[in-house]
Amino acid sequence: QLSVLLSLQLTSEDMIAAFSQAVDWAGCTVRAFAWHPHTNKFAVALLDDSIRVYNSNSATVPSLKHRLQRNVAAMAWKPLCASILAVACQSCVLVWHLDPTSLSTRPSSGCAQVLSCPGHSPVTSLAWAPSGERLLSASPVDTAMLVWDVSTETCVQLQWFGGGGVTYLAWSPDGSKVLAATPSAVFRVWEAQMWTCERWPTIRGRCQTGCWSPDGSRLLFTVLGESVIYSLSFSEYRGEMQGQVGGSKTASIVADLSETTFETLYGEERIGGEVHSMVWDPTGERLAVIIRGESPNSQPAVAVFRTRNSPVFELLPCGFVRGERGARPQLISFHPCFPQGALLTVCWSSGKISHIPFFFVGALEPHASPRRSPVPVLGSVREQPLFSEL
Amino acid sequence: SIDRCASSSPAGECWWSVHGVGLVGPGPRSRSLPLSPCRHWAGGSRSPHAVSPQVLGWRVAAAITWSVLLLPICTAAFIILSGLDPFHPVRWISNSFNDLYTSYVIFCIFLMSMVIIIISIFNIEFYAVVPSIPCSRLALIGKIIHPQQVIHSFVHAIMGMLVTWCATVMTKGRFQFLAVSCTPSEGLEDAVPQMCLNEYHLFFLLSGAFLGYSYSLFYLINNMNYLPFPIIQQYKYLRFRRSLPLLIKHSCVESLHFVRNFCVTYYFFGYIPKVWICTTMDLHTDGKLHPLDTLSGLLDLSLFYHTWLSGVFLLMTWYIAWLLFKIYATESHHFPIQPTFAQETDQCLPKILNSNPPLLIKFLALQDLMLLSQYSPVRRQEVFSLSQPGGHPHNWTAISRECLSLLSDLTQRLIAQQEAAAAANGRAKPPVGELKVPPQTPGIASMSPLVKPSLMPVKTSPGSDVGSPFSSPALNYKMGVVDIKSPWHGPVQSPHVMRRGPKLWTSVSDQQMNGSHHESFPVLSAARTGTEAVQPRFIYTWLQNKQEQCTQNILVSSQHPEASIQAVFSDAQMHIWALEGLSHLVAASFTEDQFGVVQTTLPAILNTLLTLQEVVDRHFKLPHVSSKPPRISGSLVDTSYKTLRFALRASLKTALYRITTVFGEHLNAVQVSTEHKKRLQQFLEYKE
Repeated sequence: QLSVLLSLQLTSEDMIAAFSQAVDWAGCTVRAFAWHPHTNKFAVALLDDSIRVYNSNSATVPSLKHRLQRNVAAMAWKPLCASILAVACQSCVLVWHLDPTSLSTRPSSGCAQVLSCPGHSPVTSLAWAPSGERLLSASPVDTAMLVWDVSTETCVQLQWFGGGGVTYLAWSPDGSKVLAATPSAVFRVWEAQMWTCERWPTIRGRCQTGCWSPDGSRLLFTVLGESVIYSLSFSEYRGEMQGQVGGSKTASIVADLSETTFETLYGEERIGGEVHSMVWDPTGERLAVIIRGESPNSQPAVAVFRTRNSPVFELLPCGFVRGERGARPQLISFHPCFPQGALLTVCWSSGKISHIPFFFVGALEPHASPRRSPVPVLGSVREQPLFSEL
Repeated sequence: SIDRCASSSPAGECWWSVHGVGLVGPGPRSRSLPLSPCRHWAGGSRSPHAVSPQVLGWRVAAAITWSVLLLPICTAAFIILSGLDPFHPVRWISNSFNDLYTSYVIFCIFLMSMVIIIISIFNIEFYAVVPSIPCSRLALIGKIIHPQQVIHSFVHAIMGMLVTWCATVMTKGRFQFLAVSCTPSEGLEDAVPQMCLNEYHLFFLLSGAFLGYSYSLFYLINNMNYLPFPIIQQYKYLRFRRSLPLLIKHSCVESLHFVRNFCVTYYFFGYIPKVWICTTMDLHTDGKLHPLDTLSGLLDLSLFYHTWLSGVFLLMTWYIAWLLFKIYATESHHFPIQPTFAQETDQCLPKILNSNPPLLIKFLALQDLMLLSQYSPVRRQEVFSLSQPGGHPHNWTAISRECLSLLSDLTQRLIAQQEAAAAANGRAKPPVGELKVPPQTPGIASMSPLVKPSLMPVKTSPGSDVGSPFSSPALNYKMGVVDIKSPWHGPVQSPHVMRRGPKLWTSVSDQQMNGSHHESFPVLSAARTGTEAVQPRFIYTWLQNKQEQCTQNILVSSQHPEASIQAVFSDAQMHIWALEGLSHLVAASFTEDQFGVVQTTLPAILNTLLTLQEVVDRHFKLPHVSSKPPRISGSLVDTSYKTLRFALRASLKTALYRITTVFGEHLNAVQVSTEHKKRLQQFLEYKE
């Protein structure tokens, strides 16, 4: 395929820029962002290849530097762990073991494990198993994605021919499935027990981004060159169906985001276009997307939707998130365990990071955030007053 | 156990059982975890394990069948490559295909199938799920000249010779026959043609024997009898396909090394077999041909290519048999939790975990426990269920008890090792005389003198094998729950313990070696010819004596600390699965356990895990203990046993976090000691 050939000719920096979830990876100060899955702590990868770790409980901001830490494309904190951060770099995967009680601002590079495999660079995407035992890494030039046992630094190659490498990975919150996008017009959904996969050809282009519902039964994804959100549902995972992914026959369009004119405080604005990145909050009630503008003069915007996954899937527009004048959204992420609703974090092109809380009472018992004890929700419908809908 | 075997069971019973679990491994605990029926004879509890022949039999049969079925494909590839003729491609291909159907090729395939079956039988008899790691060079030499290994090498050398004979037959040409007719070199016109030795053929046969022997040697040195379990589950075909390129590459490279070594050996010692064959078979040497034990004779590209190719062929067929056995043996097996019929009770997971099945079955059971706890809500429900009349949580009790006893056993072992290390550091060299092994029942994991009485109040009799993970679980269970107020790091070390400390690493194993040697030898020698048996025995006994003489001076100093640490954690895969299984079950119980059966064991589980966590932490702070795993190159030979301790450390922490993350603040209501409460609080705050 043409895109595969193209991707092989690109330099690795161009390749990372093309496949990164950041809108303007090459030019923006913030290149990657990752919330810790259990605590109020996040890591930010900067343009100068350093990583800063911010913690709400401590004033020290450790800055991580390593000679192999170049062109960071993605980061992920290990679940069920205090402070292990995996970093996708140009030549390898670095796994930082940070001491959560340490006051040092410059952890030595001896704290980092180097996971490398010949032919597996640049690494553009990482995903930890929600059970914290395995790490997946993917590179657009390697047809195999790697399953790492980080503690012993051993890896297993999951090879599947056709479609080129793997550009984007998303592990479903229940741990049962993994989305693996390729540089060509096909993506795969792996089942994470016996590691078999289903192949999904798309019509227009490659899968740009995707996200899972908390129970792993629904995948939303977008395709390059189309301004719509697709939804793909999977039969409920019960563990008995070894080696079956269980996807439905076809994906359905759930939202059309083509350019429309909106009346805003600042006058009329045209917003719409392709989706660059998409995140779903852990309760499954809010979906945030970065929409790249279609015309050159239109701005990328963050749109938020209200969603509900059961009994039927619903997706309702909720509003837009606007930064300071001239600031364009680069990266978005939801806090993994915000107790009062959802907390959206947006990294702006100005280098600022803002947290936008959404207060609501979940309609369903939260599945993916075991931090909270399951408070029985009295059978009320979700129509509680929303405090800060934009 | 070896000792007991020989005394209480019919002689044949123990023949193979000694192997596979470390004959000489002077680890901290003598590995008396046999794979054999001996255990049942010894223990007196003869629980019938219908499951093991059933499970293993099918797997072995399937593995052998597949390796035999793949043989014709390898043979075809070999024939095509051996007739390589790049200048006449059409003739080459057509000739090769014509050769495939000839009767002698079919005969060779038949013969080589026999070889594959024998190789597979050796794989099956020698496999081990717990590798035996020689802690010093001397121990390794001891392993190499151990009678069992000698048999292994001998049979492999014969098999190698057979395979290369087949290869010469299939290659045809000048390599085919040992004796060829030749005319005497005098040049007399009417001279009668006489039979001459075809040195190429001899060279081939000897190279086969050499390759077979080298294979056997590397099999031992690289611990290739160790069955590593994969880090992710995959279908057998995919696993095989994934390993195939590595296998081919490994065979090619290894064959190159072996053939190079063989050429050197032949250059120096080649004349011995040549002369011998010539005299015994009354053959002449052909004067026209170059003798091969010269430089010019060995610089024959075609000879080298064919030797290398037959080496690749040999190694590939054998490695395929080995790989298939590994893949089949480590495939997960689905054990039922509750019996559907009364006669299936013995095959249930809780039953198997609590009995002493062959180690492989135990491993498979624990692997299945890990998988069901992670992926199968339905089977988890069965674990949490109550027995129908009576309402007892038998399943959960049995499973959790076994897991906890495994974990507390590991805790004890680590404590013993740490004490030994402390003792070794504290007192440089105890007098040799004091290290004489006390008359004790051999074959028992003799940790008993090392662990303090305060820790093990229950065990007193010298015969009780607390060290073994399969000792009475109830006992270990109790010990795990005992609130250990950490007396290990206190300065109160009885001189008794101090003095005996280093013995953990040396004398116990010596004794073990003695035991296994003396007891198993009569049986073995019966199966072998006299002269062969006597020589190793002599050397072996000599080595034993030598070893005893310089116990401290040589052994301890030459002991590789890394190897002895690996030996402590050699069976850690079991503990990893026990940890994962337990923690997933406990985490799932938060929402799925309707009767609260898990709650009653929660304090014990937390106690055991936190104690183990403390001990493991302390282990990684010992001197000589690296905190990072060594690099593992992606080769065919799996060395994952070298890094098991890192995996254990990681999964222990993950297991604790899994429980604390799910239970959260509710853990404050669980009764644990204050020290552990502090630790738990740190886990709750994600500060560990």
